Amino acid sequence: MDREDEFVRVIKKNEGLIFKITTIYTDNREDQQDLYQDIVYQLWKSFDSFRGESKLSTWMYRIALNTALTHIKRNKRKGHSVTIDKVVLRQTELYDTVFEERIKILYGYIHQLNVLEKGLMLLLLEGKSYTEVSEITGLTPSNVGTRISRIKTKLKSKIIKE
Amino acid sequence: MEMEELQATWTQMSEELDKQKRLTDKIILEMTQQKYKNKFQGITFYETIGAVICFTIAIYLIFNFHKLDTWYLMLCGIITFVFILVLPILTLRFLKKIKGLDISESNYKETILLYTKAKNRLLLIQQFGVYASFLILFTTLPVASKLLSNKDFFLMEKGWGLYAFIGLVLVFLFFFARWGYGCYKRITNSAEDILRELE
Repeated sequence: MDREDEFVRVIKKNEGLIFKITTIYTDNREDQQDLYQDIVYQLWKSFDSFRGESKLSTWMYRIALNTALTHIKRNKRKGHSVTIDKVVLRQTELYDTVFEERIKILYGYIHQLNVLEKGLMLLLLEGKSYTEVSEITGLTPSNVGTRISRIKTKLKSKIIKE
Repeated sequence: MEMEELQATWTQMSEELDKQKRLTDKIILEMTQQKYKNKFQGITFYETIGAVICFTIAIYLIFNFHKLDTWYLMLCGIITFVFILVLPILTLRFLKKIKGLDISESNYKETILLYTKAKNRLLLIQQFGVYASFLILFTTLPVASKLLSNKDFFLMEKGWGLYAFIGLVLVFLFFFARWGYGCYKRITNSAEDILRELE
């Protein structure tokens, strides 16, 4: 399998993950499209440097989250055609209304967190262990634990308020 | 929704997303081509044009500096020269730092720290530029007047048109600076919170 085929396989396998990250870090469709493309582009650019020293998923999360962090929001007035328009943005439209409502609430909570907390929350929801979260974020496992419990408290207070 | 419910919703959504494979090989390969233009490249392009204009004026100023024949015109010339030389250099330097961040090697914490610091520095220098432009307005006018029409701005007769022009520019600068300061505070306050948390 050549390099391109291997990359395509990896992206196809993880397209849901990229979609979730773009939804967390953007607040409109145009930005989400931009970020989606930026993440795929950055993954492609550093695909060669992935040496298998860490797990593939760790490498992907790291690049995708770092790209989301440094992504500048698009000027809404400027047009920008991206081929993925009808591909990535329809995904959540297929759910039933109750489930869709729950997803909206979930994203609503996450959007209220700061960038650091957003990344940690994503990894927590993805079921990553503290050690994996630590590898991706560069925080110590105990620090990850402390921060995650703080996020949980913060979310709990928001949930109670609403 | 309780925390457990959030987790369950996320898991269910992830399963649904996994079922909906939508990307084709062609689309993925198209995304790997450099169609996406990094926004900092756009900013750098405009800043570079601005810098070229500033440097051209600076060179013009050097070659015509002898025409500034009084101490106060010389002082105005030196202040203008330093401003149009130093500010673009600093801006381009900070932009280079932001663009040079290696997101493939850094972890999330390092990226937040480096990116936030670099962005803050860039904003700070831009903020400084806005405020310094108030001062520069009053040094550029005499220099331009002397070099372009050989008139001493401080001694010449000034019509109402000139005062109106200066007034309009000052009003514009005032509102521009106020708006810029608001944006700056909003961005840097949240950035400072994150930095404090991480350091």
